[in-house]
Amino acid sequence: MSRWLYGTELGGYTVYMKYAQIDPGLFLSVSDSTPMYQQIVNQITTKVMAGDWPAGQPLPSIRELASASRVSVITVKRAYAELGQAGVIVTRHGMGSFVAESRDLSTTLLRAEFTKHFDAMLASARRLGLSAEDIRRLLDEQADWSADSTEGSTP
Amino acid sequence: MTTAFSLSGVTKRYENFALRDIDLSMPEGQVMGLVGVNGAGKTTLLRILSGLALADAGAVEVLGHAMPAQQVAAKKDLGFATEDMRLFKTRTLRWHMDFVRAIYPGWDEAYATELLRRFDLRAEQTMTGYSHGQRVKALLMLNFARRPRLLLLDEPTTGLDPVARDEVLEALADVLRDEARSVIFSSHNTKDIEQMADTITFVHDGALLASREKEAFLDDWRRIVCLGAWLPDKIAWPEIAAARQNGSILELKVRQFSDGLLKRLQAKGVEIRSTEPMSLEDIFVTTVRAGGVA
Amino acid sequence: MNFSSLNLPVIKLLVAKDWLLFQKQLAACVLAGIVALCLIGMATGWSFYLGSLLLIIVLVSASCFSISTSLLVERKEHTLAFVMSLPVTPLDYYLAKLVGSLVTFLVPFLVMLAGTMLVILFTPLPDGLVVLSLLIFGHVLLAYTVSLSVAMAVESEGWNIFAMISSMVLINPFIMLLGQLPAISDHVKTDTIVFGPVVVSILLGQLVVGVAVLIATGWVHCRKKSFY
Repeated sequence: MSRWLYGTELGGYTVYMKYAQIDPGLFLSVSDSTPMYQQIVNQITTKVMAGDWPAGQPLPSIRELASASRVSVITVKRAYAELGQAGVIVTRHGMGSFVAESRDLSTTLLRAEFTKHFDAMLASARRLGLSAEDIRRLLDEQADWSADSTEGSTP
Repeated sequence: MTTAFSLSGVTKRYENFALRDIDLSMPEGQVMGLVGVNGAGKTTLLRILSGLALADAGAVEVLGHAMPAQQVAAKKDLGFATEDMRLFKTRTLRWHMDFVRAIYPGWDEAYATELLRRFDLRAEQTMTGYSHGQRVKALLMLNFARRPRLLLLDEPTTGLDPVARDEVLEALADVLRDEARSVIFSSHNTKDIEQMADTITFVHDGALLASREKEAFLDDWRRIVCLGAWLPDKIAWPEIAAARQNGSILELKVRQFSDGLLKRLQAKGVEIRSTEPMSLEDIFVTTVRAGGVA
Repeated sequence: MNFSSLNLPVIKLLVAKDWLLFQKQLAACVLAGIVALCLIGMATGWSFYLGSLLLIIVLVSASCFSISTSLLVERKEHTLAFVMSLPVTPLDYYLAKLVGSLVTFLVPFLVMLAGTMLVILFTPLPDGLVVLSLLIFGHVLLAYTVSLSVAMAVESEGWNIFAMISSMVLINPFIMLLGQLPAISDHVKTDTIVFGPVVVSILLGQLVVGVAVLIATGWVHCRKKSFY
């Protein structure tokens, strides 16, 4: 497997770091009900959290990823945009995209996931016509329940 | 930004069918998927782009060349394959490859050999011995191997077994790597378009219904299942493309989804159970059934 | 029609392709033609008539096969779309077809013509036959150009068959008419070859009409609005 040499600026000096070449092919499923761009976002997030793609790792170009994963360029663009917004990757103009160099990346991602679920829960509650009081009551019930079990509960 | 092709005010009349006033264009480096029922005009559109048919009115430009005046220049960089295209029966695939190679300087023999292997084609066999799927693949291979800047493909995966279809999509994905290469293809396998296209163009009854960016387009459509004894008035609710009711269960297919719409539905006393995205196939059928308004 | 922008390399390739596709029929025609010439050369009553009949059949077959291979089959087998997807203009295609068809026809035609001349001159047959046979060959060539033009202009197989058969069948009345002309009948049975003004004008007429038909068809073809 060939290795990429990548240069980054560090205190006025260019530091060359070795990065393993990423296999750009993601495993996307057409039959999965999750939209394609979301599958890409999820898989890249997983790879980052699992350490496959370390911080600072240059991402495959949009076209490379699109070609290897057999999905349209526009879908990859959207996925990269979402990942950028979530702070998982950073895009430097003219240089491409890289995995974000954030020490708390894991935490950031988990927090982002939490926020997403939280917002979805709120939207659901609104549709059901639940008030803030109802939600608080449900939380209290949940807290009681989790206090009884040895592990955290999962909905 | 260079345009792969552009049609303005294009009209083409046949005895029983007419393509009317088409305005369509695509920047290079993109993939456009054409969706439409049989006889909607997809093949005619591709024929006009390829120079095989001349428009009765309007301007056609392909890869920067006016058609049909500069068709030779355009066709040098154009790949074209339709379902009813045939190769010479008594000749082998190898003969066709040599024939094409002699004409196009862009022919990549190494890539052609690789495609032969991937498509599982025997070059020394005469075309009479080829099955439908093999013939389609052979024709596509002859196009892919010379790496044309614009590929016009009419139903490239229709009638292929799942394995062959997979191989064709893989070869099509190779094109994505190059930002100067573009594809426009029509397909009844809407999944292919859903997966590979950047833009989706709906053709119906000789007219262009819609041509939109895929992600935004798919995002606009939702299938909403709700509870309520209420049927929407199509005129008052233009966002709703289709509605079905079974007792208290109401299923809505919405072409312009928004949170505001949900609120308005709730205001009507409808209880929302679920909202989910729709597949392109579902959107396609719904649009046609709804009378062709996308 | 822009002659300077002709795509000659591709035209050459298309002509070579048509030539290649025609090989089998070519061999059959030449073989049968040689048999016909032998029969004519034997110069007996029955062999002469049999031979000349066979010769005409060979010429008609060559004419039909060459048109059929280059044009009709291409249309029926839908290979036209493939050819038109190549970097060629309709004019390029027309010229390629024209040259291709003419080449595939003229080869057996000229071989038969030369053979016939040789047989007439070097056998006991009266040399005066040269004039008559030239006129007949001229008619066959004219009939060929008409059939070719019809094939290029019209897609209906019925019309093409009609054109081919009727133009060839006209040989009979044509020969009879020629037989009535004193310019010909006087010299047919003798050993003198006479190219009188009547004969020359007929030959020229055939040539001019043939060329005119081809040019007109070319013009019509390039104005076509669709290619299937």
